[in-house]
Amino acid sequence: MAMRELVTGGAACAVPGPSGPSNPLGALTNALIGSSSKTQEKLREIPTATTTTTDGNFFARTEEPFAALPGSELEHPLQPHAQGSEFLQGFRSADQDRFADAWDEIRRPHVHHSLGRGSITNIPLEHGRLQPDFDGPPQGVLSSFLHSFVHSSHGGMPFRPTSLPMLGLSEGDKQCIRDRSSIMARHFFADKTEDFINAQVNALLSSLDINNDVSSRGPMPGRFPELEEYWNESQGMKPGPYATDGWVAEFSQRQIEHNDPNAWVQSFERQHGANGWATEFEHEQSQLASIDQMRGANISSLVAMEHTRKLAHVLTQNNDPKFQNSKFLQFVSKMSRGEITIEDNQIKQGTFSAPGDWAAEYQQQYNGGQTWADQFVNEQHSDGPHGWANEFAAERELHGSVDGEWVNEFSKLHVNDWAEEFEHQVAGGVLGDSSGDNWANAYDEYLNEQVALKQKSESSSGVYVFSDMNPYVGHPNPLKEGQELFRKGLLSEAVLALEAEVLKNPDNAEGWRLLGIAHAENDDDQQAIAAMMRAQEVDPTNLEVLLALGVSHTNELEQAAALKYLYSWLRHHPKYRTITSADQPDNIYYADVARLFNDAAKISPDDADVHIVLGVLYNLSKEYDRAIEAFQAALKLKPRDYSLWNKLGATQANSVQSADAILAYQQALDLKPNYVRAWANMGISYANQGMYEDSIRYYVRALSMNPKADNAWQYLRIALSFASRNDMLEACDSRNLDFLQKEFPL
Amino acid sequence: MPVFKTPFNGYSVKFSPFYESQLAVATSQNFGILGNGRVHVLQLNPTITEIISFDTADGVYDLCWSESHDSLLIAAVADGSLKIYDLSLPPTSNPIRSLHEHAREAHGVDFNTVRKDSFLSASWDDTVKLWTVDRPTSVRTFKEHAYCVYSAAWNPRHADIFASASGDCTARIWDVREPGSTMILPAHEFEILSCDWNKYDDCIIATASVDKSIKVWDVRNYRVPVAVLNGHGYAVRKVKFSPHRMSVIASCSYDMTVCLWDYMVEDALIGRYDHHTEFAVGVDMSVLVEGLLASTGWDELVYVWQHGMDPRAP
Repeated sequence: MAMRELVTGGAACAVPGPSGPSNPLGALTNALIGSSSKTQEKLREIPTATTTTTDGNFFARTEEPFAALPGSELEHPLQPHAQGSEFLQGFRSADQDRFADAWDEIRRPHVHHSLGRGSITNIPLEHGRLQPDFDGPPQGVLSSFLHSFVHSSHGGMPFRPTSLPMLGLSEGDKQCIRDRSSIMARHFFADKTEDFINAQVNALLSSLDINNDVSSRGPMPGRFPELEEYWNESQGMKPGPYATDGWVAEFSQRQIEHNDPNAWVQSFERQHGANGWATEFEHEQSQLASIDQMRGANISSLVAMEHTRKLAHVLTQNNDPKFQNSKFLQFVSKMSRGEITIEDNQIKQGTFSAPGDWAAEYQQQYNGGQTWADQFVNEQHSDGPHGWANEFAAERELHGSVDGEWVNEFSKLHVNDWAEEFEHQVAGGVLGDSSGDNWANAYDEYLNEQVALKQKSESSSGVYVFSDMNPYVGHPNPLKEGQELFRKGLLSEAVLALEAEVLKNPDNAEGWRLLGIAHAENDDDQQAIAAMMRAQEVDPTNLEVLLALGVSHTNELEQAAALKYLYSWLRHHPKYRTITSADQPDNIYYADVARLFNDAAKISPDDADVHIVLGVLYNLSKEYDRAIEAFQAALKLKPRDYSLWNKLGATQANSVQSADAILAYQQALDLKPNYVRAWANMGISYANQGMYEDSIRYYVRALSMNPKADNAWQYLRIALSFASRNDMLEACDSRNLDFLQKEFPL
Repeated sequence: MPVFKTPFNGYSVKFSPFYESQLAVATSQNFGILGNGRVHVLQLNPTITEIISFDTADGVYDLCWSESHDSLLIAAVADGSLKIYDLSLPPTSNPIRSLHEHAREAHGVDFNTVRKDSFLSASWDDTVKLWTVDRPTSVRTFKEHAYCVYSAAWNPRHADIFASASGDCTARIWDVREPGSTMILPAHEFEILSCDWNKYDDCIIATASVDKSIKVWDVRNYRVPVAVLNGHGYAVRKVKFSPHRMSVIASCSYDMTVCLWDYMVEDALIGRYDHHTEFAVGVDMSVLVEGLLASTGWDELVYVWQHGMDPRAP
């Protein structure tokens, strides 16, 4: 398990505060999970009129029968007094028609007596149709859908599309979502055009895999021209039924044409296959294609893309910070943005951005001085080599370590593809000049990929990957917003706001630093390191940044880099710089750094940061007992640092004190209930004690909060196989959280 | 000023007409788009505590108190049903009735304050239905609107007259003794989400619309509004006349604010409360305590405060 469990950032967290319980979506889900009991509806007697007040005797029944009461209000007959009253009375036509009779009849006391109590219970009432879904699939996944948005950071891995096709929304649910969102959207976006509203609704629906078909409830098409006419003729005249159906037909027709943002994706996929974007990207790159060429290549889709761009920027158009912060609007907006990721795999993420955005983003990434290959590999293998290695390790643990498998695995990944491709082409008789070129290209590509992969595996890439669609761009004060969101524990949202800040002010070290911390807390060390490195570029001596970089690199098992930053921290610290040598040594050795920090701890034993670093260092050297001592010393100084409790737990788990670790994790979770990493670590500790069934539940809980925590998926897979639950492996592989949550409730 | 946190998104809040310290809140999960609902009955003492709550299988969009029985509540549920709850019975015995006739979401309920034996429901199935508490089926269905009916409100003085507000951009005035509507008010160019009668002048009605405005009408002269109240930044979701001041109106909007207006004076906006952080969708004024306001919104919070005070003040 090693260092991966150590969470970063806590020590450098400058914005402490209660974060867990203020997350409304978390609360939403807690409420969901909590309310598993179904309501019972029973037809009961009509209640008695009660004169009891709300004293302690709240449920006390009074004896006065209800049936005696109605009619008593007629003791106060209407007082037709003013002109107004007469006017309204004048509505009434002279004849006593059946409606008046029926209405008057209700008042007659004998009606009530004849109904009586006994008879009422016998009236066959329609019992409310209870949706059997207080804990059923739609709710669970819809809420985890919300959660995955909350926790998803757009730079790395978008959440898996596989879980959504299994939403299991009934037709009724879909109808609800379709109709209600259609009707509500017309209230929210009154200023926008009908096209816009349709697109907005459509984006929401398609991300939930709902067809916006003809049964959708359309809008009211403004005021009827003919209304004025009949209004003038006779105010009592009844309007005929309006042909809303015609509109609906037109609406759906237009969907099929251009206004559906999905259409673009679908048509693109039809042309290029699921990985078309990547192919296209590569292709264009290799030809050094200009943006203009790309425009030309796909001119018909631009209409849709432009439309999509407008849609996605609706929030940024409104400068009211309160609106920027509206969770509902963010929800809608993110649903729209999530469309592509749900549509297909991670590559799809970029397709949603308009060419302009794409170019800008590409430029940004390019500015990092990285090669395109790096960038490409970054996106292709967002797991990074560690992910691959972990996955491999997981596989090996499952199947027993057969070395041959490694080769198979590897050749399956790369070599076979290439060879098969080649064979295929040869067999297909495509032996003209072009096939030779293709082969060469393919081989070059393969080589590039290997080189890039190797480069990447040497260290964390350090390239910060921005989210493609960011509603906070244009926000007047994204830093403040980001700090606020971070404080509330809305990490993914905070990441977006902070990205907007550093796009606006690339020299804002604080923006980069907080961005790094947000990523670290969100279990994305790669992005955390990239952001922290940018922060360090801007402000090379920022202590918090240096400490965070040290911890993050420790998490990534990059000892040399970790030592470098930790040493730098010491060197720039006003209290401890005296104990370091004037020049930064070329080679930093573990023993030296450890000794220096021990000295520092003697100088100021009340500095929690020093104890934390010592704890981290002892983890690097696997001196777990000393690490535990160091963390416990730090906890005496900072008892409410949740990430510190997690560090302690992780260290205890590493030193085979899993039972103690669980107590420490529990402390962390008490302080921060939506602390995904602590949930996952809890699972690891149970697994370490052989309690696989328990560990599975914690992994599933962690994943329900952050479905893109890839490590946790791997741990879950291992635990499932050790628990002899091979029947669930498929659900794990397809990342069917809903199914897993039902099978393994916590 | 007291605050109460609801697990779901708030949709409607109503003071009890019997107890000045009691109020009820309707809430819906996932912004009312999909999920469950809950009705909370709350007690002011002076912090807000929950007396009882009832779960529903779909969102609750609106509720009203019975005018004749202090323990009766009627909830408008998104599945189209109306549920009648009796607070004097434990939750397991509730609801005492589920009236399911509307084919679409029930969006508004209003209890007759004159006859006190009947109530109205407004639904997205374009109809308004008239009910009594003791009948298992509706007394009448009013079907004229061409689009969703968002709210219906009884005239405070005439037991037979009510108004309805619809997405077909009209408000209609009805007399239940008549077969059809007696007046069609093409009040706005956009959908009308709410309407309410003046409590002191039974010919004055206010309409609130997606066009961000509130208009005050005299039904005797419907061609020109008496007043147009501009100031909300987004659709106005609910409008409510003060039970104590003839010309005072409360409103709440998707611009997240609650506003107080005096439609008789030139600068009509007399109060703006910015306390919600999501759409403000429910507002009410206490009949028993002058100036006491309550609001709820999609930020899952219920505020109760005295006019002129800061709802968020501790």
